[in-house]
Amino acid sequence: MTAAPMRMRLGPQPGEEIDRSRSFTFSWNGRTIAAYAGDTIVSALAGSGERVFSRSFKYHRPRGLLTASYLDPGCILQVGDEPNVRAAHRQAAAGMDVRSQNTWPSLRFDVKAGSQLLSRFLGPGFYYKTFIWPRRLWPVYESVLQRFIHAGQVSPDTPLAAADKRYAHPDVLIAGGGPAGMAAAAAAAQSGARVMLVEEEHHLGGHLRWGGAADLAALSELRDLVAGMPGVEVLTDAVVAGRYDDNWVAVVRRGLPGGAEQLIKARVKVLVAAPGLIERPYVFHGNDVPGVMLSTAVRRLINLYAVKPGERAVVLTANAAGDAAADDLRRAGVEVARVVDARSGGDIVAVRGHRRVRSAELADGSTVPCDLVVTATGWTAPTALLNMSGDRPVYDQRAARFFPAELPEAVLATGGIAGDGSRDQLIEHGRAIGREAARRAGRIRRDWQAALPGRTVLDELAVLDEPAGPANGSAGRPSAGAAEPVPVPDLPVDAHPELFRGRTHGIVDFCEDVSSKDIAAAIGEGYDSIELAKRYTTATMGPTQGKLELVNTIAIAAQAAGKTIAETGTTTWRPPYAPVTLGALAGRELEPVRYSPMQPWHEAHQARPLLAGAWVRPDHYGDPAAEAINVRERVGIIDVTPIGKLDLRGPDVPKLLNLLYVNKWSKLGIGRVRYGVMCTEDGVVFDDGVTGRLGPDHYLMSTTSSGAAAVWEWLENWLQTAYPDWAVHVTPVTTAYASMNVAGPASRDLLTRVTGGVDLANEAFGYMEVRTGTVAGVDGCVLWRIGFTGELSYELHVPAAYGLAVWETLMDRGQDLGVAPFGVEAQRILRLEKGHLIVGQDTDGLTRGFSAALDWAIKLDKDDFAGKPELAWQHDDDSGPRLVGLQPDDGSVVPPEASQIVEGTGVGGTGVGGTAIVGRVTSSRMSPTLGRAICLAHVEARLAAPGTQVTVRLPGGRLVTAHVTEHLAHVDPEGKRMRV
Amino acid sequence: MAAGARATAGRRRSGRPPRYSAFTLLRHGLSGEQWPRVWQEHPLQRSYDVVIVGGGVHGLAAAYYLAANHGITNVAVLDKGYIGGGGSGRSTAILRSNYLTPEGVRFYDRSLHLYDHMAASLGYNVMFSRRGHLTLAHNDASLRTMRWRAEVNQIQGIDSDVIGPSEIRKLVPFLDVSEKARYPILGALYHPPGGIIRHDAVVWGYARAADALGVHVHQQTEVTAIDVVDGQVRGVRTNRGDISTPVVLNCTAGWSTLVAEMAGVRLPIQTFPLQAAVTEPVRAFLHPVVVSGTLHVYVSQTDRGELVFGASVDPFASYSTRGSLEFAEGLAGHVLALMPGLSRMRLLRQWAGLCDMTPDFSPVMGGTEVAGFYVDVGWGTYGFKAGPVSGEAMAECIATGRTPEIIAAFGLNRFGEGFLVGEKGAAAVGH
Amino acid sequence: MIQIRCPWCGLRGAGEFRYTGDVRTRPDPASVTPQEWRDYLYFPANPCGPVVETWYHRMGCRRFFTAERDTATNEVWTLEEGMR
Repeated sequence: MTAAPMRMRLGPQPGEEIDRSRSFTFSWNGRTIAAYAGDTIVSALAGSGERVFSRSFKYHRPRGLLTASYLDPGCILQVGDEPNVRAAHRQAAAGMDVRSQNTWPSLRFDVKAGSQLLSRFLGPGFYYKTFIWPRRLWPVYESVLQRFIHAGQVSPDTPLAAADKRYAHPDVLIAGGGPAGMAAAAAAAQSGARVMLVEEEHHLGGHLRWGGAADLAALSELRDLVAGMPGVEVLTDAVVAGRYDDNWVAVVRRGLPGGAEQLIKARVKVLVAAPGLIERPYVFHGNDVPGVMLSTAVRRLINLYAVKPGERAVVLTANAAGDAAADDLRRAGVEVARVVDARSGGDIVAVRGHRRVRSAELADGSTVPCDLVVTATGWTAPTALLNMSGDRPVYDQRAARFFPAELPEAVLATGGIAGDGSRDQLIEHGRAIGREAARRAGRIRRDWQAALPGRTVLDELAVLDEPAGPANGSAGRPSAGAAEPVPVPDLPVDAHPELFRGRTHGIVDFCEDVSSKDIAAAIGEGYDSIELAKRYTTATMGPTQGKLELVNTIAIAAQAAGKTIAETGTTTWRPPYAPVTLGALAGRELEPVRYSPMQPWHEAHQARPLLAGAWVRPDHYGDPAAEAINVRERVGIIDVTPIGKLDLRGPDVPKLLNLLYVNKWSKLGIGRVRYGVMCTEDGVVFDDGVTGRLGPDHYLMSTTSSGAAAVWEWLENWLQTAYPDWAVHVTPVTTAYASMNVAGPASRDLLTRVTGGVDLANEAFGYMEVRTGTVAGVDGCVLWRIGFTGELSYELHVPAAYGLAVWETLMDRGQDLGVAPFGVEAQRILRLEKGHLIVGQDTDGLTRGFSAALDWAIKLDKDDFAGKPELAWQHDDDSGPRLVGLQPDDGSVVPPEASQIVEGTGVGGTGVGGTAIVGRVTSSRMSPTLGRAICLAHVEARLAAPGTQVTVRLPGGRLVTAHVTEHLAHVDPEGKRMRV
Repeated sequence: MAAGARATAGRRRSGRPPRYSAFTLLRHGLSGEQWPRVWQEHPLQRSYDVVIVGGGVHGLAAAYYLAANHGITNVAVLDKGYIGGGGSGRSTAILRSNYLTPEGVRFYDRSLHLYDHMAASLGYNVMFSRRGHLTLAHNDASLRTMRWRAEVNQIQGIDSDVIGPSEIRKLVPFLDVSEKARYPILGALYHPPGGIIRHDAVVWGYARAADALGVHVHQQTEVTAIDVVDGQVRGVRTNRGDISTPVVLNCTAGWSTLVAEMAGVRLPIQTFPLQAAVTEPVRAFLHPVVVSGTLHVYVSQTDRGELVFGASVDPFASYSTRGSLEFAEGLAGHVLALMPGLSRMRLLRQWAGLCDMTPDFSPVMGGTEVAGFYVDVGWGTYGFKAGPVSGEAMAECIATGRTPEIIAAFGLNRFGEGFLVGEKGAAAVGH
Repeated sequence: MIQIRCPWCGLRGAGEFRYTGDVRTRPDPASVTPQEWRDYLYFPANPCGPVVETWYHRMGCRRFFTAERDTATNEVWTLEEGMR
């Protein structure tokens, strides 16, 4: 298919940003459109004579170009599978598939445009006033409303577009690359600062780009200056998305391959806001008809893209930009039918037309046929970055815009946001601000250095107050703030008529289809603060984030409420300053995953992975029940590397253990091990594990896998804040060791074959003892004789680098003993058979010590320990549930974990049918050893006596009976098997 | 109710506000007639029977139910800003009742019931959309907690169950339910009655209905002191003048401890910011509300097409409502971990509200040691969904002088007695 | 993200630290009443303004230190000095 001719394309323009030597085509709603390199999607479309790009939100009115910039609300299009592309900003590329959004059946003929006829009934908040009855029909109404969603479409198959984030460390970051921003960048760099200059558009220059010959000459000079300045990094098509506390600044680079964006984060010493000004639309009847444009849009189209915006124009101007637009139009061969000067009372009353402007009705009563209406009625200062810096900009009635009020030391403003003035005045202001920024950055840098103990403050060099040329390499960073503040000239502020709404009502928020009439109606209904009116009408809530419409909204609300703009105030500009893709914010997925050194073996042996916090562990190797049986009958080995391990040294370790464990530790002999439980200060069980004494002042503590980090912090907290005089040194060694538990009746036989320096005989190395020695030729191993599984077992902590070798040796040497690996699932079965609790599963966030069946461990006769008072009171009042062993009477039924224990109807219950919850199953498995279901459960204390029968409600509602067992342990309650 | 009731500004109204319906919409559309004001402005009276501090959904609901259920209409609702400007307007407006404890389930279920009938009873469409609510489980510990909640819910008669990945995928095709995901989706607690609502509409609906019953809503009215004499509330002082009253109800969030301190009451509350964010709209693709406790993220799509995101509270206590970049980064990472297809959607706006965090993730409701000083505070991150039932219960509490059974577990005295509410149980069980 | 001055490591982003709450005095467990103990457990200082807190430089030197922070503005003044 051949492309439509570029019938609105002008001859070469002096400042054009298109490359006529490179052309290509892309698709627009299925048609082929020609473009030049440098064209935006919309400039190419406009060059081909397209005028309508979308339909409005509520009334589905045709919408065309308004601002010809990123903010253009009518130019938000679908590109391939990317929704909501700012097509007046995004550069066209060969083969792009560009479509209008949410039009049906076509952009030209949209059936939903029928809602225009209903517009008088679809006032603000109309949905709050209807669809109320009948209640059951609301879902139907809702699905109709959803069809009006004014947006593009996402696809689940879109590949993840995320770029790596970058940290930058500029001294001065300048938001905005117009004349003032460029001058500031050069001046700051000249003073020795490292500068990042961020410009939202594709080229530096701001409004100079679409200016006359003198502007273009100045621009060229500034570009050369910036380009030749070492220490300035220029980012175009990038935006400062937010200024957060302490000058933490987010910059988003757009336009990376694949539609990705990159987030750059910078702790900026000084932020210079130089965003320029945003031209404000004028509100009057028909102000959204395609062909009504801002003066800056017209100037961009002609000067940057050589596109003729129309054939016959009416220009409403209140300022020099409007006058210049009229000149540009004439130069481009557009017939300027009338220039209406708002400064002398001229006004446009209404624009007629539907798919295109047909005529303009003027205040003098005349009607001028035209296809283009240009307005230049004032500026909005995009103060968002200043708001985010804590400033409350103030409204200046004389200039009809907001100005910065009081900026923190680390934030400066220059350019249009700070004032008006000639091009040279703006550049001069920027230059002074740049130098001042560098000076302040130097001082802030010195303060940061001074905050670092043991460092001498650098940069005591004299400040380079007026360097003649670019800083040489050795001058380096901005110098200390010895210099006086740089005198910054005041920018003049020009008078500008206050023009917000004309004599008729029109659209205020083009994204949301909110008219001035709507805002006035909302105020009249009582939504009379700006915040309420905004929320009620949804004005400023759309994709342009209020940048185009906020000030008009405030002005119209103020007028309707009979207040001034200053009284009405402003609403909070919230970050981000510009929309940011989720891909940029997310960056590459960097969540760590932890594996033990034995992972290659597990993978080679078909281990099924289990995610446990950050750890990936073998859940089982195919048959967990068989793995458990093998431990009971022969010998199994499990990888327990994730167990937390803390090396404790110092004479005061026993004091620490006594303080943090509920049991006693003073008399632990060398080589002995004890089980310990920790509670928080509210008496709630927090962690458990074993601690062994390796030497006179040397202990090794183990914690739960998930609690490793928290326990370490808990120890440090007590040591550093409560008992700084205690001589204890804590070193986390969790991953310094690979840990494996060798369990089963044959475990001693197996270990005897590979262990050196340790007598493994029961008399020499008994239950709950610890030794250090050599395993499989590896020195420095720690061997614990403990029994989480209930079997004779040895837990080995092996220097991590040898973990895999030791594991393989054990597997190899134990073949004739029937050694086999077992996973977490088999371990859970075994420990449940043994009745050992798991903190966090058999306890919860309210389980105090006596509720976890720890009566035997809690020593209330100790002077103090964490949580003691609560435990003492729990002991006195016997409150809280109890952890018990439980067996369903029908041993073939395993109640799923979290099954509730209930008391049936008529017991004054609280649930449906009077069912009361009196406990829950916390752990349950089919016991391969016993061939029956076994459980641990929480029950109310009155039900905790052995033999008590309870009712368990299975998921789905079936009730089964179960009885409380005498011990938590279902297998070997006396613990004989561990002690052989 | 006469369809043509034309209450005009200034006329004392009692009973129902002017009716909203398709018919009145049509009539106003045809005639171009101005709608009556939703609520009136009143001078601040020297005395009220009840003064409610905080014009959010809790305070306005309490005022409405005091008037509607108990005939107590000489009530002032004071807000230092505009109504619904605090937690109510910053909430992500998710409704559900699938809590962990029987007391929690019963309470929120009543709230859901009131929400369900709210549009009709207030004559204001609050757009309650029962989308269904999915809480994803990424590991077996969290799956166990989901099962726990499902069991408790079912016993209380709440529609709630654990479903598997294939059913989840059917409900939300954008979710990555593959095993290769960094946080694989093992299952979810599915709660069909849950959903979202238009939060502002709830606030405005209550304000309008309360106003019609004679309640005075005073915006831009900040309480500066509470007068207590001999252990009894006597009045409040405001930036607009003093009010004598025997009853003050503290319905603030964020500033609740400061207001309570004025009456000499200490609360077990710390103020934390909670951030939220919204994207640009896209065409409807996400029907249910999706929550991941492990990833601390919740997502829903509004009728306007925006995705609304929330997360857990900020890592340190603060009264600052400036958002942080870390929140936006973490949020985006977690959303894309769940739904990788959304990487080109754009975040449009982020904000923060203030949350009253209590030690047991449950509110503090009822009377205090100061006679006449009531609290409805400590709402953590879940206050919005409890607004109607809290208002109803607090109105009953004030009107009858007795603590209703439905809030008995939430008394201030539980902290001194060491009987915390069990919602903390699940929060501390490994997510 | 605010910056916090660690007495040992200088100014660092708050993300490196763990907030461990306002500084409270632990009552003597030997003589404490339930009311006093639960006051200590459950009733934090919650001013809108300066409060003295403990912070932990989790991703740095792993030292706990006290700092005063204005909860309205999040300005932080570290109250300890590291070795100079």
